[in-house]
Amino acid sequence: MTYYMGIDIGTGTSKGVIVNDTHLEADYTLPSGINYKIAANNLAEELLKKAGISADDIKYTVSTGYGAGSVAGANESISDIRCCVKGIFNLFPDVRTVIDIEGQTTQVIRLGKNGQIANFVTSEKCASGSGRFLDIISNVLQIPLADIGPRSLKSKNPVAFTTACAVFGESEAVSRVAEGVPAEDILAGVHRSMAEKINTMIERVGIEERCAVCGGGALNIGLVKALEDVLKVKLIVPEQPQLVSALGAALFAKEAAEKAGGK
Amino acid sequence: MTTSEKPKVKTINRLKSMYALRAEVDKMYAAGEDATNTGKPVAWVMLGQWAEPILTAMDVISIYPENYGSVCAAAGKAAPFLEASDAEGFPSHVCGYARNCFGYSAKMKELGGAIPPSAPMGGMPAPTLLVASSEICDARFKWFQALGRYFNAPLGTIESPYPGLKESIEPGTDERSVQFLIAQLREFVTFLEQLLGRKMNWDKLDEVARGLAGINRLRWEINRLRKAHPGPMHSKDLWSSITAAFFRGSESKAILDGFQKMLEEVKQRVASGESALNVPEKFRLSFDGLPPWHSLDIFDKLAARGWNFVIESNYRPYTPVNIDLSKFGDPLERYVRERFQSTNNTLEGEYTPEEAAAVRDEITRTGNSTILQIKHVRDCRCDGMVIHILLSCRSASLNLCAMQQKAVDLLKVPALVLEGDMVNASLFDPADVLKKAEAFEETMAYYKQMRKEAGIPW
Repeated sequence: MTYYMGIDIGTGTSKGVIVNDTHLEADYTLPSGINYKIAANNLAEELLKKAGISADDIKYTVSTGYGAGSVAGANESISDIRCCVKGIFNLFPDVRTVIDIEGQTTQVIRLGKNGQIANFVTSEKCASGSGRFLDIISNVLQIPLADIGPRSLKSKNPVAFTTACAVFGESEAVSRVAEGVPAEDILAGVHRSMAEKINTMIERVGIEERCAVCGGGALNIGLVKALEDVLKVKLIVPEQPQLVSALGAALFAKEAAEKAGGK
Repeated sequence: MTTSEKPKVKTINRLKSMYALRAEVDKMYAAGEDATNTGKPVAWVMLGQWAEPILTAMDVISIYPENYGSVCAAAGKAAPFLEASDAEGFPSHVCGYARNCFGYSAKMKELGGAIPPSAPMGGMPAPTLLVASSEICDARFKWFQALGRYFNAPLGTIESPYPGLKESIEPGTDERSVQFLIAQLREFVTFLEQLLGRKMNWDKLDEVARGLAGINRLRWEINRLRKAHPGPMHSKDLWSSITAAFFRGSESKAILDGFQKMLEEVKQRVASGESALNVPEKFRLSFDGLPPWHSLDIFDKLAARGWNFVIESNYRPYTPVNIDLSKFGDPLERYVRERFQSTNNTLEGEYTPEEAAAVRDEITRTGNSTILQIKHVRDCRCDGMVIHILLSCRSASLNLCAMQQKAVDLLKVPALVLEGDMVNASLFDPADVLKKAEAFEETMAYYKQMRKEAGIPW
């Protein structure tokens, strides 16, 4: 059996996937921490362990993400935009728009019918609309990141944030806490604010159904709901949305190896 | 390739004739230094075409703070000046060139008029006079007005008419604009004569004006050759030569010769099929907006991917004016009529009568012209556009997004949008550019197919 590895080193979380000729063999995620090289090494080690294979069994590795250059032994680095498209198109060939909400950036990509990148836009130098904003709010409210999505769905009176800026948004959240506003209303307001910010990007590339959302941000059911409300479309959420780019990287690895091997 | 790595080979095949023209940047600032020693008057001048020959004819050394902003950015020395500008209270969203100039001026004032030691290329000597103009951007007059905080120097102004596109093709607009400009420049000459206590050298004005018009004509001819495949001249060569083209009236004969050599070299390249890249040309691109002067090496990295920037929307030569100047007795009138850039002249010089009629019709109906805006993309058969949205320059950025959409709608040519600034390096992320570039190659391939399906011939 031949194996191919995709490693996505994000600013917050590192994700890895091993695929074989027919299916996904193993996946793993861990926090990136401050040293991407260590994260990449640990990730590869855990992935191999989970797949029950050795490094020699991996025929080709593609790295992606913010720390793509830190992956020792990667045969190639490919941009996360391309990897995201590759991954989502493999999972849902009828998807034409994908919203990828990562820790540091959010990108909206429109796909051609054969999975080509027809247009894309990425968030610029701003944490609003990215996963980092959720981290900040999670800390402010002292609610675990995994819980803020479900909690926000209980909101009856979402706070209207006056800013989309993550820094000012944090101050605003602190003020609302001091006023005694329930946490779920603050969270619902944050999600709405992020969704509106992301919508400005979507308007730039033009939404085309079907539309998927992926990246770590898509694990947040409250944010997904807010996006659906703003966009007025039902979004497709992969089972493990945070792994989409790593999967795409692994698929690129498979293609590259097959090309090199004349398959 | 990471952003810190340099391509192993020189990926851009620079024009040899460019180097002598690029050296004019150094010479301009050296002339400023000399002026300090010889006591020649020095003018700080706003970018614009009208003042240079007049100042040269009056034996005034002209220095361009906007150009110096690009010099500081390219040398990686702009940040302290930008910070000094912030400390002076100027907003950070003001024009990057202006901020660089404010910071420089504040430091100069602190030093009692001496050139700040950190200033690259010898710096700008303190001005004897300031010359503001209303051309092109909206910060203009206020910028030079604000310099009054730092220098006790008289301020001359030149107002240049800027009719809307629709008005510009209406009968009488060109002539009114010409007469207005002549009157403005006459006032400017009077201002200089009174200030300097000497008379205008009209013969010299004629000589310099003819020289600059000749340079423009050569540049225009060079640009027409850039339609060739592969593209014979990279945008970096144009950017390296614009100081010589615009700001060195005093050396116009030598520069004319320099551009003649450039024309010959580009012709030679076209004839022999020599590319502006040392790697195969995979993608032909236009650069739209002002370049990121602080990060020009990004173009070498993009060239390594086969990206050839074959044309730009800025710093382009105007369509030469073909009129008999001998019938005008007034040297100022000759000067203005030869250099006045009218839409009518562009339409007559660049389009077939049928195309020109279509453009006029579009302008009359909509007040704008898509055909005009994206002509360079069509003429050079570009695969993509790179649009540099400048956070501190509205006038160079505002129409870019509309241009982007029009290129997609009409020509099926996509655009990669980069956000940044021409001076402030902290607003530009080269790693992000390379990441996007990789994805954009897929987009360009996608639109190539779209063009094929739409019957667009490239």
